[in-house]
Amino acid sequence: MDAATLATLLDPVAISRAESLGMHARYLVEGYMAGEHKSPYHGFAIEFAQHREYAPGDDLRYLDWKVLGRTDRYYIKQFEQETNFVAHILLDGSESMKYGSAGYTKLAYGKMLAACLSYLILHQRDAVALDIFDNETREYLPRSNSHAMIHKVLSKLAAFEPTRQTNIGAILHDMARQIRRRGIAIIISDLFDDEEKIMEGIQHLRFGGSEVVVFHLLDPAELEFKFNGLIEFVGLEAIPNILTRPQEIRASYLAELERFRSTIRSGCEKNHVHFVPVNTAQPLHEVLSGYLAFRLKTSVK
Amino acid sequence: MSFLNPFMLFGAGAIAVPIVIHLLNRRRFQRVVWAAMRFVKVSTEKNQRRMLVEDMILLAIRCLMLALLALAVARPAMRSSSHDVFGQSKVSAVIILDNSASMGVSDGVQTRFDKARKVAEQAVDALPSGSAAAVILASDIAKEVIKEPTHDLNLARKTVREAPLSDRATDLFPSIEKALETLKNRSAIRKEIYLITDGQLAGWRQLGDIQKTLKKAKDQTGEQQVATHLVLISDAEERNLGVSGLVLSSGLAPLNRPLRFEAQVANYGKQEVKDIKVSLLVDGTSADEVVIPSIPPGGTRSVPLNTKLRTEGWHNVTARIPADRFPSDDSRTLAVRAIREIRVLMVDGEPGNEPREAETFFLGHALVPVPAEEAEKYYVKTSTITPADLGGTRFDDFDTVVLANVADLSNDTANGLESFVKRGGGLLIFPGAKLNAASYNSQLGSARKMLPATFGEPRGDAGQEEKFLTFQTKGYDHPIVALWNDASAGTLASTRTFRSFELNLLPAAPDDLGGKSSNPTTGVTQTNKAVSFAAPKAILRYSDGSIAMAERALGLGRVVMFASTADTAWNDLAVRPAFVPLLHRTLGTLIQRHDEGANVRVGAQFARRLTADFLHKDAIVMAPGAAANTRDLHRVELVNGTPVLSYDATDKAGIYEVSIADPPTVIKFAVQPDPSESNLSELPVDEVTALGQVAAVQRWNPTLNLREWVEKARVGAEYWLPILILVLALAALETFLAQYFSRAK
Repeated sequence: MDAATLATLLDPVAISRAESLGMHARYLVEGYMAGEHKSPYHGFAIEFAQHREYAPGDDLRYLDWKVLGRTDRYYIKQFEQETNFVAHILLDGSESMKYGSAGYTKLAYGKMLAACLSYLILHQRDAVALDIFDNETREYLPRSNSHAMIHKVLSKLAAFEPTRQTNIGAILHDMARQIRRRGIAIIISDLFDDEEKIMEGIQHLRFGGSEVVVFHLLDPAELEFKFNGLIEFVGLEAIPNILTRPQEIRASYLAELERFRSTIRSGCEKNHVHFVPVNTAQPLHEVLSGYLAFRLKTSVK
Repeated sequence: MSFLNPFMLFGAGAIAVPIVIHLLNRRRFQRVVWAAMRFVKVSTEKNQRRMLVEDMILLAIRCLMLALLALAVARPAMRSSSHDVFGQSKVSAVIILDNSASMGVSDGVQTRFDKARKVAEQAVDALPSGSAAAVILASDIAKEVIKEPTHDLNLARKTVREAPLSDRATDLFPSIEKALETLKNRSAIRKEIYLITDGQLAGWRQLGDIQKTLKKAKDQTGEQQVATHLVLISDAEERNLGVSGLVLSSGLAPLNRPLRFEAQVANYGKQEVKDIKVSLLVDGTSADEVVIPSIPPGGTRSVPLNTKLRTEGWHNVTARIPADRFPSDDSRTLAVRAIREIRVLMVDGEPGNEPREAETFFLGHALVPVPAEEAEKYYVKTSTITPADLGGTRFDDFDTVVLANVADLSNDTANGLESFVKRGGGLLIFPGAKLNAASYNSQLGSARKMLPATFGEPRGDAGQEEKFLTFQTKGYDHPIVALWNDASAGTLASTRTFRSFELNLLPAAPDDLGGKSSNPTTGVTQTNKAVSFAAPKAILRYSDGSIAMAERALGLGRVVMFASTADTAWNDLAVRPAFVPLLHRTLGTLIQRHDEGANVRVGAQFARRLTADFLHKDAIVMAPGAAANTRDLHRVELVNGTPVLSYDATDKAGIYEVSIADPPTVIKFAVQPDPSESNLSELPVDEVTALGQVAAVQRWNPTLNLREWVEKARVGAEYWLPILILVLALAALETFLAQYFSRAK
């Protein structure tokens, strides 16, 4: 599907509610498609399940010619489902995602990322399920590969406003239980939660057979912590306000942050999870194309 | 420990400032909504204690800095018995340099004043750096050359080095008072007075007060304490002769007439002096010379000196004795104006039938006391008229008008006389039987304020020869009669007055200028602003204290009135030998009305009334001994309606020449030293010892090292500098720590 077709397919209401997201997503995807026609998601769909005997009316495209040649029997190659591949996009919608120093929040960035990924995945006819959560699932779209799905995804994303704090671990456990079929779980979050519980949840997902990709979103201010003077930090989640001189604790803060990130990173590596650290100051298409290129490379091998 | 600016200690309250700033800053912060709180929280908890300690250290340093700054500004000082590591504390000093005439005594190489200036310079050099010095030149006045102590010690040094010697007398007390007053308002831990004088006794005439004042200053505590260093520059001068007086015996200085001057020579030394040559110089050329055979120690001799003045106008007449080590009193100069002739108009109120009966008979003969054939050449020319002729007479053709027993005056005559006197004429009034006292009192008295006194009731009986009044026998204060203080000049007291008018002296008119009193021994007038210049004055009194003669100045002229007649009707004055000199001296006073004040004492103000032509004109005054290019420009100012030229920088004795360009005029006046300054006797040793109780006394000697001497006496230190250094060090530390603590960690 080319960009013009996609634009006509999008519901005007959904577009108006998630205009920035949709436009951004489209632009970014198009930008990506222009340079990289061969989508890495393509590979996910060829997931052979079993053979069954041919019955009249079956599409001859799926006839297994090799078996016919060897055994002279008519067998039809049967796939898992209509779609072989389900991408569960788990977007963290907790209050901490509301932070953003560059004119947009981490959540906005996460929404764009989710929208782009949904578009990409649906574009290649794979199924997408969307789960926006904080300490429990707030919005859920069951898996679907229909073209209308993109509109649903966009409007859900656009309509969402965060209100609560996060509990990623519990959500991951829930998801692991829900996902019966192997798929891919794409977690988009700042992971501001207990890292051990997060790792347990990821392990649980991995145990269920799902591939897990973690997009760890952090704002540039959070990464650099370049504040001066006396500042009162007003916590977005339960932690009470803190009055301090940030420049004097910057080193300590950066060390804490790095320790946290490396814990997550090493946990991910241990569980063969793709860990994608994202600075929200980076253009989305760079992040996306970088990751997808990396993924393509590893998948081809 | 004391504080020189104790109220500055309130500044210590400023330590509240950093605390308040700290507290205010805690309320002034930026609020940032933040997601990654857990890391901030962990980091803050880890650093909390360190940051608190750092904050406390900085706060403590800032508070300490301000407290110390307040302490430094309060200038803490401590008197200690040893020198401080930070050096001597600053000194506020007043240098009193005696520049009276006696400081001009020379030892043959240098004068006392030369030595004093060097000592004063040493005193300035001995001041620790950062000190301030004021300079007072002490004579009979305290001349504050540098009024407020200056930190520019070079200026003080230069001032001292270039200080001029004056011819004034000495009185140290006003200078000491001034110095203490100057120091009183200074804040310094150390206050010093350097008094450099020759220890001449005359300067210590208020010794008791000086001792009391200095003791009080010394006994003060803290910064009010003043230490006095007294340097006595004396070299026991045992001999000194001085011309202590010079007067013109005849009141007038007519041209080409023998003039008699009286020069008084005093021996202030302790030995008899013989063969003293006294010379009289007129305009610098020798005119007469007399030798005094001997003067005993402490004695005074008067010698007559004769000369003639050959040209009209001003002359300087100097009496001189051979120079000794004190040159200032070896000569004395008078400014004398030679006059060509004096025209006197006598108005005879009772001409009588024959000349002898005329009211003005004796008067005319006394005014022209020469044989008839010489009268033509005599400088006093008289004309006589009757009251009836008064109407057609131009008074301006005469110098003096005498009214002798004139009954009353018409309004026109009174007006004419008033303007005549105001323009500089003299008016002499003799009463008599015909005189209408009420008319005079109203016409010349209340209406025109010309009379020095009003005529009261006549008293006594002219026919009664047994009952009479005599003149006062001593205490002749007025210059006209001062001559008779000297018994050798004859006596006035023998005169008998049978009948006279009571004279009631009038109060001074408010528009009179200045004042004048006279010094009977020197004949030198001294202006005194407190007394009215033209106030009516008694010249001579009767033995019962009532007034016999009175005078007053009016405009540029003068009015003299007698209480009794000009002829022998009421008294026998006219036949007494004193009549001629009395009349001539009176005439002299009347004529030289506008020359008065031409001879003033050193330091006194010279003031001269001038005509309206001179108003706002510039007069160049050239002082004696001054370089030709140092001329003083003075402007003729209007004082109480009369143009007056005044000049008070009469520090040097000698002739002062005043020139006014337009109309071209030259006026001379002479300034004469105070004879008291010639007495070089010194403060007795026991008095000097007594002074040692209140001041550090040092006698000058060629090897005197003032610095060493004063430094021994000068102990104690101020601590503001080390405190300030500490504050600066703390400021540097604070800056460093603040940077270090707030660096990105």
